Amino acid sequence: MSDRRIPRLLQTPAVVLLLIWMLVPLSMTLYFSFIRYVLNSLRRPEWTKPSIENWRGFGNYEFVLNSKDFLLAIQNSLLIVCSILFLTVILGVLIAVLINKAFPGQGIVRVLLISPFFVMPAVNAVLWINMILDPVLGLQGVAVEGINGLLDALRMTPVIGNFFGMWPELQPISFRATQTSAWAVIIMVTWQWTPFAVLIFMTSLQSEDQQQKEAAILDGASTWSQFRFLTLPHLGRPIAIVVMIQAIFHLSLYAEIEIVSRGNGNKNLPYLIGEFANNNIGAASATGIFAVILANIVAIFLLRMVGKTLME
Amino acid sequence: MGRIVLENTTKSFGDVQVIPPLNLTIEDGEFAVFVGPSGCGKSTLLRMIAGLEDLTSGKIVIDDKDVTEVPPAQRGLAMVFQSYALYPHMTVRKNIGFPLRMEKMSQSEIDAKVDAAAKSLNLVDYLDRKPGQLSGGQRQRVAIGRAIVRDPSAFLFDEPLSNLDAALRVGMRLEISEMHQRMKTTMIYVTHDQVEAMTMADKIVVLQAGVIEQVGSPLDLYHKPRNIFVAGFIGSPKMNIFSGEEAAKFDAHSVGIRPEHLDVSTEGGIWKGTVGVAEHLGSDTFIHVHDTGLGDMFTVRISGDIAVTHGDTIYLTPHEGRMHRFDAQGMRIE
Ligand SMILES: Nc1ncnc2c1ncn2[C@@H]1O[C@H](COP(=O)(O)OP(=O)(O)O)[C@@H](O)[C@H]1O
Ligand SMILES: [Mg+2]
Repeated sequence: MSDRRIPRLLQTPAVVLLLIWMLVPLSMTLYFSFIRYVLNSLRRPEWTKPSIENWRGFGNYEFVLNSKDFLLAIQNSLLIVCSILFLTVILGVLIAVLINKAFPGQGIVRVLLISPFFVMPAVNAVLWINMILDPVLGLQGVAVEGINGLLDALRMTPVIGNFFGMWPELQPISFRATQTSAWAVIIMVTWQWTPFAVLIFMTSLQSEDQQQKEAAILDGASTWSQFRFLTLPHLGRPIAIVVMIQAIFHLSLYAEIEIVSRGNGNKNLPYLIGEFANNNIGAASATGIFAVILANIVAIFLLRMVGKTLME
Repeated sequence: MGRIVLENTTKSFGDVQVIPPLNLTIEDGEFAVFVGPSGCGKSTLLRMIAGLEDLTSGKIVIDDKDVTEVPPAQRGLAMVFQSYALYPHMTVRKNIGFPLRMEKMSQSEIDAKVDAAAKSLNLVDYLDRKPGQLSGGQRQRVAIGRAIVRDPSAFLFDEPLSNLDAALRVGMRLEISEMHQRMKTTMIYVTHDQVEAMTMADKIVVLQAGVIEQVGSPLDLYHKPRNIFVAGFIGSPKMNIFSGEEAAKFDAHSVGIRPEHLDVSTEGGIWKGTVGVAEHLGSDTFIHVHDTGLGDMFTVRISGDIAVTHGDTIYLTPHEGRMHRFDAQGMRIE
């Protein structure tokens, strides 16, 4: 055997395993999406076994497209993913730049900053929705009540009371309502994933060339110009990485949606798949294929956008 | 204009004083070279002038104005770094135009200046490339272009040629000298290479451990080194220095004689030795002579060729009035 074939041969099991790992689920999903396949049917018991005889063509796809939740789920998936990406990248860059300078207690601050990333998603969701965002018992409720109490007291005082009389009573926001539950998810996931962005950006900032900065200082660049023309382009690739990885992760958000609203008015594609999968595996698989297509579109679109804006 | 004066400037990093109190004047239009071994504080001194390092004490005056507290960009100086420090995400055009853009100059003016600079530096064909697509010499030119467009009162160079190969280095050396002749702008050039210093400078500042050992024209330093350090540092090959009894005959603690100031004979002379390696450069021959009884090996430089081989006996005679005598402190005795 020649020298080159030995490494190839040694790589083969890993490559084959990876191929199986990816190809088997994908082909099974594709297969199921084209047949009638349900878990339970008294009327048509033959549909409860996956079989090529139950071929349905694009029927499952049509069914999914026409179901009332589908468009909403796509919209919601995009809203949630894009908002989280937008917020985590901006917060991540800001925080990374802020803590990149040496200051006392830097080590502790960094560890604390990273810690949200180690909280389990379900725990994260329970904590946020019950203890922070709850309109009555959560931090939000307490804060709104406190501010309203203060306003009431101010209205009682003479002279300035008239002025505060014109201020409205604050209303706590219910994040379990259909329109706002997506925002609860966005807030909690942003909190959890900003550390990831910070971590990646921080590593990148440490490899930034200091002489370029000095050259820019001599060239008369303000702190903002240095950030805009040197640091931000330098962060272009890490930003693309953060966007890419997060897009993949957040398109499949599930636990947070389940815990915040049980999908009431706030389904995304994975949640819809979950609902179909209670019985209709064919429809669930078709939705899964839609999700794969959406993920690819989002990834390509986002990478283009990030690349264009940052690399000048 | 660009007259730069350092008055009692010092610099410490923590407890370590890198630059002890130092006084120096660089006249307008002068080409000054800071030369010294690695780590002697040349870069630190240059960065202090540029404003990239704060002074620990003392002051810096440019054109009669105290700039000690003035931010770098407003000192009117341009710097070329050893690593070029080009902006990797910008094209050559944007790189060169960057300082002008920061001055909020109009786009048409920027374009005109960039084009002029690119023409004078032979960069016209590369204006739309990124620094990563250029060779070392071209990057160096871009860095110089970025300095030129600012029309600074002085240029600062920090070992600009040390990342280039030998042939390019000679070419760029000439170009920078040419540029100085043309523009007559003050230039401060840092290098550890005494050949660069000798060939380019109007005024050489020899530094050792942050202390100025001597300031003078290249020929001053060559003919009248103030002390043993300068004598040994300036000139190539190095000056031969010996001390002890033989030096005492000349009323000195140590005596130095340059390789080119020794006559060679196979018949007779003052000092006798054995030929070691002979390096033939064609125009010159360097002969290493051993066993002279004067301490270290002697190097002799003669023009043309000579028929000696390894192990031959050879006699050396110093040229009249070419010996450098130093006292016990290493200072020159006139
Ligand atoms: N930022 C710094 N912190 C501590 N020491 C430094 C710093 N910069 C330079 N030095 C020290 O100052 C001395 C002079 O450095 P430098 O000016 O770079 O030397 P040169 O350019 O002559 O080789 C060196 O001993 C170096 O270790
Ligand atoms: Mg240096």
